[in-house]
Amino acid sequence: MMDIAIVDYGMGNLRSVAKAFEKVAPDSRILVTGNAEELLDADRVVFPGVGALGDAMRELESRNLIGALREVAQTRPFLGICLGLQMLFEFSEEGKAKGLGLFPGQVRRFADGMLDAAGLRLKVPHMGWNEVHQLKPHFLWQGIADESRFYFVHSYYVETSQNDLAAATTCYPHPFVSAIAFRNLFAVQFHPEKSQAAGLRLLRNFVLWNGTAG
Amino acid sequence: MNEETVFSDSPAEVANTWLKAGARRLHLVDLNGAFLGKPINESVIRSILDEVAGEIPVQLGGGIRDLDTIERYLDDGVDQVILGTAAVKNPGFLHDACNAFPGHVMVGLDARDGLVAVDGWSKLTGHDVVDLACKFQDYGVEAIIYTDIGRDGMLAGVNIDATMRLAQSLTIPVIASGGVTNLEDIKKLCAISKEGVMGVITGRAIYEGSLDFVEAQKLADRLDD
Repeated sequence: MMDIAIVDYGMGNLRSVAKAFEKVAPDSRILVTGNAEELLDADRVVFPGVGALGDAMRELESRNLIGALREVAQTRPFLGICLGLQMLFEFSEEGKAKGLGLFPGQVRRFADGMLDAAGLRLKVPHMGWNEVHQLKPHFLWQGIADESRFYFVHSYYVETSQNDLAAATTCYPHPFVSAIAFRNLFAVQFHPEKSQAAGLRLLRNFVLWNGTAG
Repeated sequence: MNEETVFSDSPAEVANTWLKAGARRLHLVDLNGAFLGKPINESVIRSILDEVAGEIPVQLGGGIRDLDTIERYLDDGVDQVILGTAAVKNPGFLHDACNAFPGHVMVGLDARDGLVAVDGWSKLTGHDVVDLACKFQDYGVEAIIYTDIGRDGMLAGVNIDATMRLAQSLTIPVIASGGVTNLEDIKKLCAISKEGVMGVITGRAIYEGSLDFVEAQKLADRLDD
């Protein structure tokens, strides 16, 4: 039986993530855990979370999870969600908090009062359904039409200098990185666990993915 | 509470119907809870969450008066709790809730002629709805749900002007609520979505059939194309 670990570090409730995986992986053991050894033993790791990066790093530190997270993010199928994407980067603009630093880049806040080309008044948080433009083919996009809508709720986004990292962008109003892919790792700014059929398909793909790039 | 209409005795089944029809978000109200000022229908809410959690975001209001209740609902899989009367009467509680659960607190403001009402619309306060919404925005609430109480449940059309004025005054999203009757209301709301109206709540109209939910969702989806 395959073990899928969902990292529990006190940043947001994980019930909908766990529930979604129960739906797409009925034959797997879904483990919501804040235990480093359980993470290292898992076949797949899901790293969710909402909130501020600085708080999240403190929570990880207090649970001694940083080493284990760095390890599993490089050794098995790994899915970051929302804050779990942002945490993979070097630091956050606000509060100058440090992230896990697996990838070059920073986390920035959307400006208040942004207008798009059509005069659309853009709110912060970016909350609701928005289109995800796929930049490259990937196993996790299988069966998901390009420009499919996913559910977002976030005030921060990732800016990276590593050009080949982005797997998708979304406009708000400028394109920002809404998914990244690197070897065994995939991470998304949106919430697949709240994104209807497209979200469940992405999670199902993750469960079936062998963890190789593309 | 003296004029109640029961549309179904299986809320979880109903929730699943809307999920399958393509609903992008579920808005739940514990009406008994709102009336009594404490959660009353938690087991029913849990049965609904069992059905839809993991597929769409869920927001819930009604009778939420303390942090423990918020925590319990969030643990059950609710994405955002909605504070109404409690926020207006006890802003300190709202402030604490925003600090304790950032990203998970919305405020529902009911208003008539620009003034906020509380206690199931029975009392009109002296608070200007825009001023109060701005103050709550500074506390860190995620969104404001605006209900024009001249209209909710009366199938009398949405108060477009009032909704737009509020959205223009805020940097956080506004969800329109109250008075949606038919596709014309959705069209009018789509026309002001650029002011920051992120969505609309509809209940009676889709249960009674004056609004075709699937058509309405299609119309709203086209906004982004």
